[in-house]
Amino acid sequence: MSAFHTTPADHAKGGKSKKKRKGKGDEPDPRIINLKSSMPRAVPAPLRFARNRALRHWTIHRAWLLFQRKEREREAHELERMYQSMHNAAEELRQTSGPGTREEGFLYRVAMEKKGVYGHNAVPIEYARPQTETPAREPWNHGWTR
Amino acid sequence: MTASSRGGNVAATLLRRQPNTICVSCRYSQFRSYSAGAASATATAEAHHLKPTESQPHPPFTASRRAEYRIKSGIILTRAPLITRALTPFENAFFFYQKRLNERLVLPFRHTFYYKKDTASDLDWRIKFEERGKIAAKELGRYYAQGRNAWNDELLVGSTLSSEDRVREILLKDAENRVTEDGEEAQPDEIVPVESPMDRITEADKTNDVRRLDRKLDRTLYLVVRRSDGKWQFPSEDVPTNEHLHETASRALESAAGVNMNTWMVGRVPVAHLVTPPKFNEDTSMKQQGEKVFFLKGRIMAGQADLKGNKLGLDDFNWLTKEEVKEKLGGRYFHAVRNMMADR
Repeated sequence: MSAFHTTPADHAKGGKSKKKRKGKGDEPDPRIINLKSSMPRAVPAPLRFARNRALRHWTIHRAWLLFQRKEREREAHELERMYQSMHNAAEELRQTSGPGTREEGFLYRVAMEKKGVYGHNAVPIEYARPQTETPAREPWNHGWTR
Repeated sequence: MTASSRGGNVAATLLRRQPNTICVSCRYSQFRSYSAGAASATATAEAHHLKPTESQPHPPFTASRRAEYRIKSGIILTRAPLITRALTPFENAFFFYQKRLNERLVLPFRHTFYYKKDTASDLDWRIKFEERGKIAAKELGRYYAQGRNAWNDELLVGSTLSSEDRVREILLKDAENRVTEDGEEAQPDEIVPVESPMDRITEADKTNDVRRLDRKLDRTLYLVVRRSDGKWQFPSEDVPTNEHLHETASRALESAAGVNMNTWMVGRVPVAHLVTPPKFNEDTSMKQQGEKVFFLKGRIMAGQADLKGNKLGLDDFNWLTKEEVKEKLGGRYFHAVRNMMADR
């Protein structure tokens, strides 16, 4: 059979086969090699836990969930407490007459006004400061003057 | 249920409604029932907390009498925490545990993807990699996640591997540049140490300087001032007839602690109140005027309190955490304001 085929297989169909680009070597682009070797298709082996280890992991996991739940509830309780304090103070203010000859609830109505609460400059820009893990070189500017 | 009977229900609800359970402003502005006038005397007395007692069966109430309460407005000036809270030991250990589990789960780190071959950064990485014992993770100790002892990933009790100080030190050391400009490994005397971050415990913490604002950085601080009679309190002042609570509060702060503070009044709504009921004689005349103090909340962003030449007769100030405020202010005063204070 091989005696009949005198031309290579890719030249057999009248030169229609793809030609390699000029100017590049036979090797593929090194960047592609790097990418391919850096992102192998292999899937990492699954974690296998023996019985006691799995139980320990389950306990740790449950402890973490419990911790998070307690934190959440503590925060909700804290907010509720602060809100109730505000509510009680406002309620007391509503039942207060004065100052002087003002009628009952005058100070309350003023306190409930929402002037300047929304929109620009409602919250000063200095207040938008995130907490960090370690303090700044100068933790507090004591020398600030108006 | 027919329409007519539903209407009857609504009317019955209106009739049953007690007029003295709501305040004067609501009663006159929203609706007015016929029995309101008769009950108004009781309602006003109740609004002023002058309830009938055994010794005073009829609460004293006359229109011409002077007011039972002085109204005061105070400001609770707070400094928000500047740094995050410290991790609990459980959180610390849990995060470390998760990092090691992650090491077991991921594919091995390919440094060729991040560092081009034969460059300075490649050499730098390889030096540090060798020093860690060929472990890609920086702070996990000698733990080989793909090796034979991969199962041994749990910290033992009392181990200091997960302590924050150790991790910080390791990361700082890792940030040093280990390659010279010639592209060779740097000698120990050529390595420039990286500037370390500031300590979470400041100088004011060590000397317990309660007048400075850079103490207790992970807690909220509250400004308390001392009157000349030795009593500690929040800055407060009487509300004159032509002022509102928030105006008086900011005025009280200015006259107490000076203007050199960058402060922000969080709102106009009072966050806490303290009521001292008035005292009466046997003949219902007033012995001592009662007092209502409403506290507004403020935040300080910069600056420091200065009591020099204040008009309120104050002689000292402190920036205290919640627990210290409790010690200074004492039972009743603290009890009135404690609910507005954050946990941290």
